[in-house]
Amino acid sequence: MAHNAVMSLPRKERLILELLTSEGPMFGLQLVEHSDGALKRGTVYVTLGRMEAKRLVESQQEPVPPGGIGLPRRIYRPTALGERMLRVWTAFARELAWEMKP
Amino acid sequence: MSGSTIGPRVPGTTLLKIARLLFNEHLLSAVVQPTISDLQHEVGDAGPGGVKRLRAQWRGYCAFWTLALVAPFVSWASPAGDAGTVAFPDVIARLAVGSIVVTLLAVVGPVLAVWVTVVMVAGALFAIMIHAWYDRHPSDIPTPTEPQRRSPQINFSSTEVAGNMGGLIFVVGSVFIVAVGLPSVIWFMFAATVAGCFLAWGLVSWYTSHPKSGLPENRIILR
Repeated sequence: MAHNAVMSLPRKERLILELLTSEGPMFGLQLVEHSDGALKRGTVYVTLGRMEAKRLVESQQEPVPPGGIGLPRRIYRPTALGERMLRVWTAFARELAWEMKP
Repeated sequence: MSGSTIGPRVPGTTLLKIARLLFNEHLLSAVVQPTISDLQHEVGDAGPGGVKRLRAQWRGYCAFWTLALVAPFVSWASPAGDAGTVAFPDVIARLAVGSIVVTLLAVVGPVLAVWVTVVMVAGALFAIMIHAWYDRHPSDIPTPTEPQRRSPQINFSSTEVAGNMGGLIFVVGSVFIVAVGLPSVIWFMFAATVAGCFLAWGLVSWYTSHPKSGLPENRIILR
């Protein structure tokens, strides 16, 4: 993964990191439901996959209960790098907002 | 697909089969399977029947086809170690794009769907009419002996149109279809038509007064 790609934190990725940090590990559909429409069902896993490639989040398949039907879901949680990235980005955004204050 | 017990009536089974044809293994496990899994769990939570189940199915299917739309543009999904493998083969890409177009036509909404249908029907009728006219009045335009290699494009300026009734039908039909399909450019089309008429009038006048001038292909043959 390119260094520049890791350094950027788009709005959706920041929202996902905020939700996972504040609410705890979640499934993709739960992230969509908690995002107030900011995340969409059709694209949330594309964003999560990109974040996994950047090592900002990690995922694990849920254990399938006996007699369970269908594919197992993936549960997502932030990595240490993801949490640090969110802290740094939030501090940077706050500082920038302070600097740009009229 | 570890740990799954999929029966014949589980929703999303067909989608999973389609997905296996369309997507590489990495994209399948990271993106497609979780989307289908959400569909299955939501439908399962909705109960055996009723509107709630139908809504869950509709949302899940929409999510899948949205995913099919964006998947060709996902850059991180091609595993770096698989040098030489084709993640999204050309034929499969065409199949995907075709299915996406059909799905989009079905879901774009009632108003837009009506306009799309009108434009498609008008285009088909127009093509049939033009074809029938040229069957009866074969074109005098010489055809190249060797096929020209051109990149795929839609370029009205390169379309050869004769100065006869067929050409008029083509031009009027093209303008009508574009005006119906893109109502926001209708005034531009109107202005362009007026300007084009003035230009045509000027050219006809000039070539009438100078019948021997210009290159042979520029001489207007009025039939």
